[in-house]
Amino acid sequence: MTTGMERFAALMSGQTPDRVPIVCNLLDQGARELGVSIREYYSRGELVAEGQLAMREKYGYDTLLGLFYAGLEAEIMGCHHIIYADNGPPNVGHLIIRKPEDIKKLHLSDDLHAHPRFRELAKCIGIMKRESAGRWPVLGEVSASFSLPAMLMGIGQWLDLFLNGDPGLRDLLLEKCSQFSSRQIIALREAGADLIVYANPVASATFITPQKSRQLALPWTIKDLEEPGTGGVVFFNGGGRINPNLADLQAHTGIDAYYLNPFDDIIEARRILGPQALIAGAINDIRLIDWSPEEIDREVEKIMLAGKQGGGFIFGTMMMPFRIPEENIRALVDAAIRHGRYQPESV
Amino acid sequence: MTGTIEQLTLDMYLTSLFDTDKPAALRIVQDALDNGMTPEKVVFDIIIPGMERMIGGMISDNLVTLSQHFLAAQIAEEVVDRLIPLFAAAPEVRGHVVIGTSHGDFHGLGKKIVIGCLRARMFEITDLGISVAPERFVDEAVAVDAEVIAISSMMVHTATGERGARRVRQILQERGLEGKLRIIVGGAPYRFHDNLFREVGADAWADTAAEAPAVVARLVQEVRS
Repeated sequence: MTTGMERFAALMSGQTPDRVPIVCNLLDQGARELGVSIREYYSRGELVAEGQLAMREKYGYDTLLGLFYAGLEAEIMGCHHIIYADNGPPNVGHLIIRKPEDIKKLHLSDDLHAHPRFRELAKCIGIMKRESAGRWPVLGEVSASFSLPAMLMGIGQWLDLFLNGDPGLRDLLLEKCSQFSSRQIIALREAGADLIVYANPVASATFITPQKSRQLALPWTIKDLEEPGTGGVVFFNGGGRINPNLADLQAHTGIDAYYLNPFDDIIEARRILGPQALIAGAINDIRLIDWSPEEIDREVEKIMLAGKQGGGFIFGTMMMPFRIPEENIRALVDAAIRHGRYQPESV
Repeated sequence: MTGTIEQLTLDMYLTSLFDTDKPAALRIVQDALDNGMTPEKVVFDIIIPGMERMIGGMISDNLVTLSQHFLAAQIAEEVVDRLIPLFAAAPEVRGHVVIGTSHGDFHGLGKKIVIGCLRARMFEITDLGISVAPERFVDEAVAVDAEVIAISSMMVHTATGERGARRVRQILQERGLEGKLRIIVGGAPYRFHDNLFREVGADAWADTAAEAPAVVARLVQEVRS
């Protein structure tokens, strides 16, 4: 077993792979790899594909990431101003919803390919799919309808609206965002994504209580996934803790794979989800900026020990900060390969 | 506070905050005022303990969410602003804080929560908004005679970048202002990495908004002593 695709295929069919698959979410680092600015890097899908392929080859992890930056979704939905930095992810610089009427005016194209930025993303995914030749799963990322409004109107305004605002307006916005999420899942699969990382940070236990999440967010997750289906969908924490929501998600959505937050307890998640679900355990990657290789090794070992106790397990990162030194990325992946091996008797 | 009407009101208020039910929370405040509770008692026995127990809860049991923090701070700020003019005697301002998010950072939620906590604790606040240039932090702090500059960052590169707290520190050094101004930072990267505040040149950080008033009070004291 030598490829990420084989490892993921083994997990999905209930087999034990040779080692735990590794998801290492390097994004803006691709620009550094190619020696171009972050702005130029994200201007063309070919460049992002080249950067992703080069980084996977260099470090030896198991997936290719078909994602530019979170704000791209806002751009496709009408944001005209993205702020670029030279050492971190681009940011939304223009909120497209500033007043209630803007929600009513929000118009989504039936065809995401009509937007040039989506075409670049789809091109990137297509190239990676072709170059991977079935060896490395290509991940696409989609924000849940319940989290998208944070990028369209700002998180404070979104909290105000869904907690205490006009329910009609809230549902109108969520309806539009849900259409967008569904269409995006379908379009990314068509472009070549093997797995869809479905991110829902605002529904996490970091933002709202499990009760509110069940009442307000869960129905929209179900709706987002109704048409595209849950095949190959990984529920991603997006930066918030999700253990308190796992039972609801598993019972009502049909999603089989859950990507935990570094602050979620892996053993607790396994207890909640049972042996059939796939669990991705994430390292606190901000600490990779200055941890020593020994500290990285210890932390990876701890995560692997918890994850390998039973059931399908994936080792992952959050969105790796640009400042993490290359030697620490190498140390991380090397440690994950070493500590992720399954003993022959358990295969 | 005795186990009386104040305790009952606080319990109801906490329940409304836990449910993130803003209309209910404001109704409880209004009912208390209508029933003769003084504005001072409403602020110091209901609003502030409510906010601090809600926001501080995260330290002990991890059960309190950002939406509850947000609402508790938002209501505290609104109610305190409305009731302070009704106090029998003007409360003593405990210090002046200039606050904003670091340059290139457009995430304002944490800042809003902190402002609510500080206002409720009688700090004067100058809110510079989001994506604030380091020079502006210093210029405004000098202009309003603040003691503390508070810089919020949601992302690692804005927390640690050359146009964030690090540059504010340099400017304070260049202008000989280090004895007159302290820097406090906060936001997600600092929660994932508890020594990061030193690396970016800050004097202090606060893990949660509930801790901010105590930390800021200490910094103000340092400047004034």
